[in-house]
Amino acid sequence: MENNEELEEDQEQNDEFEDEETLREIVAPGEVLTEDINNFIPGRGAILNKKRDKIISVIIGLKQIKKNYINVIPLRGFYTPQIGDKVVGIVVDKNPVKYKCDINTKYSGILKIKNTIKRNPTDRMRGNSRESEIPEKLFIGDAIVGKIIAADRLNSPEITLVGKYLGRKTGGIIIQIDSQKVPRIIGRNGSMIKMLKNLTNCNIFVAQNGRIWVKGIDIKHERLLIEGIYKIENEAHTTGLTDRMEVFIKEEIERRGIE
Amino acid sequence: MTLLIQDEYPKKLLREDGLRLDGRGLTDLRPIKMEVDVIKNADGSAYIEWGNNKIFASVYGPREVHPHHLAKPDRGILRVFYRMATYSVFERKRPAPGRREKEISLVISECLEPVLFLELYPGTSFEIFIEVIDADGGTRCASTTVAALALADAGIPMRSLVSSCAVGKVDGQLITDLSGIEDKAGDSDMPVAMTWFNDEISLLQFDGKMNQEEMDKSLDMAKDALENVYQMQLEALKKKYIQIQEGI
Repeated sequence: MENNEELEEDQEQNDEFEDEETLREIVAPGEVLTEDINNFIPGRGAILNKKRDKIISVIIGLKQIKKNYINVIPLRGFYTPQIGDKVVGIVVDKNPVKYKCDINTKYSGILKIKNTIKRNPTDRMRGNSRESEIPEKLFIGDAIVGKIIAADRLNSPEITLVGKYLGRKTGGIIIQIDSQKVPRIIGRNGSMIKMLKNLTNCNIFVAQNGRIWVKGIDIKHERLLIEGIYKIENEAHTTGLTDRMEVFIKEEIERRGIE
Repeated sequence: MTLLIQDEYPKKLLREDGLRLDGRGLTDLRPIKMEVDVIKNADGSAYIEWGNNKIFASVYGPREVHPHHLAKPDRGILRVFYRMATYSVFERKRPAPGRREKEISLVISECLEPVLFLELYPGTSFEIFIEVIDADGGTRCASTTVAALALADAGIPMRSLVSSCAVGKVDGQLITDLSGIEDKAGDSDMPVAMTWFNDEISLLQFDGKMNQEEMDKSLDMAKDALENVYQMQLEALKKKYIQIQEGI
């Protein structure tokens, strides 16, 4: 399946969990990361305290020191939409001008009809629409893969189905994991997802909102893969996960007697 | 004819050997057990056993506000729903939220608000549901402690955790962490909550009589007790992840 290849490219060298600079130290909100404010700057998930003499964490996560930045890699959290993210959504409502999709955010995603089909402006004339230009009808409950084209703090994010690998999905299973663990499922340079794909012969699409679309040859393969994904989510903060997962999947394939 | 049963309390709340009725010293806390991630469908959840108190807290959010008119355009809101189970106290409690429950919900929400970055989530709400399964004095303190834990477990950015504990006066002696009977029959009762961001007091209520000197001393006592509670909170929060790390 080509679907996840593009995603893998996006995520290259983006696995913060496996980073050598990420310490295995778990920090809680309010815990002091360092008192040396001359040499360090608070990065992601860290702030200065009121007296500005300490750097403290604001979330539960793993401490990371990168150059002179102190970051905290979150272990739990909610998904905030950002422009360019690919998301798996489910159509929950529709009206003549737009669809509403549940994309695991505080506001539901808006999918306008004009964003469901690619149109060539020079060809478009009244009464001259081509067969290919008729938008595909979506129904409530349909699963889609879309891309976010507009997002801010106040308004509903807008999504589009125009683009490579985007559109309505049929068949397969959608599972939901914590969106903060998505980089771990993909792994460094896509190593984890490639390994899972090769060993279980399944198609996987990992979206940024924590939803994963899985389709395999039969339910046995899918079950094994889903179990593996939940195991990765659970053990995301440990070291050497890719190697351990490879052993786990191979053992399970042998034990369950699946090809 | 209505039957009136008067509550009977022992005349002395301190034993002759100077210990309290349940065998604790004057500044001892009751045994505390905390756990996080106990409710699967919640974004974050926590459970606490503080003496005989048993309390669940679950956190949802950020999500859309319903009813919509409560939403603030410039910041998010924090809503707390403190509820007691009908069987949580000796005499059946009516299940409808009463004056006391609304007050405690408000007090807890105002206590936790300063540690959250609500201005980053305009138009949304964070909701904390606190269910008291078993009550024996000091539920508002235990609820505040467990609500902070549930918020941290949900991965919501916070300036620090919040810990809470009551101090009071019984038979002329200052004591820490009042049990149900000491709460009702004692001289005074003062719940204190602290945020560790800048060592600030976030909740302070008072009932009874105390002089200035005793007040200062009991605040110091509260701070000592709260440091213990804070360490327990940190331990409970990290335990889930450390267990997985060590199990490999």
